[in-house]
Amino acid sequence: MDRRLRNALEGLTDPDVERRRRAMEPFVRATFGIFTRYLYRYLGNEVECEDVLEDVYADIWENPDRLRNVTNEKQLLRTVYLYYMRKRLREVYRRLNRSLCLPQSYMKNLVAPELGVLETMSQSELRQALHRTLGRLKARERRAIELWMEGMSNRAIANELNTTVGAVKMLEFRTIMKLRKMLHDYCRED
Amino acid sequence: MHDINREIHELLIDYAGALRDGHIPVFLKSLTREEARRIAASQEFWDATETTRVLNGVGFADKAVTSNVGLFISRVDAKVASRLKKRKASSQEKSLAAGKTSSKGQNKIGKSA
Repeated sequence: MDRRLRNALEGLTDPDVERRRRAMEPFVRATFGIFTRYLYRYLGNEVECEDVLEDVYADIWENPDRLRNVTNEKQLLRTVYLYYMRKRLREVYRRLNRSLCLPQSYMKNLVAPELGVLETMSQSELRQALHRTLGRLKARERRAIELWMEGMSNRAIANELNTTVGAVKMLEFRTIMKLRKMLHDYCRED
Repeated sequence: MHDINREIHELLIDYAGALRDGHIPVFLKSLTREEARRIAASQEFWDATETTRVLNGVGFADKAVTSNVGLFISRVDAKVASRLKKRKASSQEKSLAAGKTSSKGQNKIGKSA
C-alpha cells in the first residue's frame, strides 16, 4: 500500500468525528479511482457508481472500524466491498422488487454477489490474465469477445462475422464459459 | 431483450449486454416467470456472471472514473455534514428526553417526601 493511502486510512480511524471528516478528502482522493472501477463491474453506469460511492464513503466515515486492520490495497477493496458496497448495491435495486419475477434472494446474488476468485483480483492482475487467456482462444471466439468489448451490439457482431444473431449469442456464451475456465486455471497456476 | 422464453445462453448474453450498457433494471424487468425460474436453476448462468462482470470491469471501467474528483469530494463532504447534523440532533433529543425523565423522577421523589 502506498504511503498516501496508508496516511489517509490512519486519519479515518480517528475517534473524533470532525478529524475523520477532514481525513475523508485524502482518503477519497486516494481511493476514488479504485472503488469506481470496482463498482463499475456491478453497475455498468458511471452516474450510479458515483451515487452509490457517495453513500459508501459516508458509511465509512460513520463507522470506519472495519478498516482498522487493513494492511494492503487488496484487503481494503475486499473489506469495503463486503461491509460497505454490498449493502448499498442491494439498495439500488430494492425498489424494483415488487414487479420482478426473479425472487429477491436471486436478485441479491445477481446484483451484489459473494466474492468469487476472479473478483478478488486487482484490475491490473485481471487485465493481464484476460490478455493472456484471450490470446489462447480461437480466432473467431476472440474476435467476438473483442467486438463485444468494443461496445458493438450482437447484430453488428453478427454482420461482422457473417452469421446470425442467435449464432453470435451462442458463440459468446460458449466463449465466456471457456474464458471462465481458463481464468480460473490461470489463477490456480499463479 | 424483448424476446420471450429465452434460453439460458440468451439470458446470459442479455445480462452481459445490460451490464455493459448500464441498464440492469431493464433486464431484470424483462424476465418472465419461466425465464426467472430458468436462471434460478442454472449453475452455468451463475458461474458465467462472474466472468461477465470481469469483462465489464476490464473493458469499460476506466471510462467511469471522472476527472473532477474535487466535485465528488464536495458531494461526499455534504453527505457527511448532513449525517453529522442528524447525529447531533438525535443526541440532543436523547439528552433532552433523559433530562425530562430525570426531572420527572425528582418530582416524584419530592412529592412522596
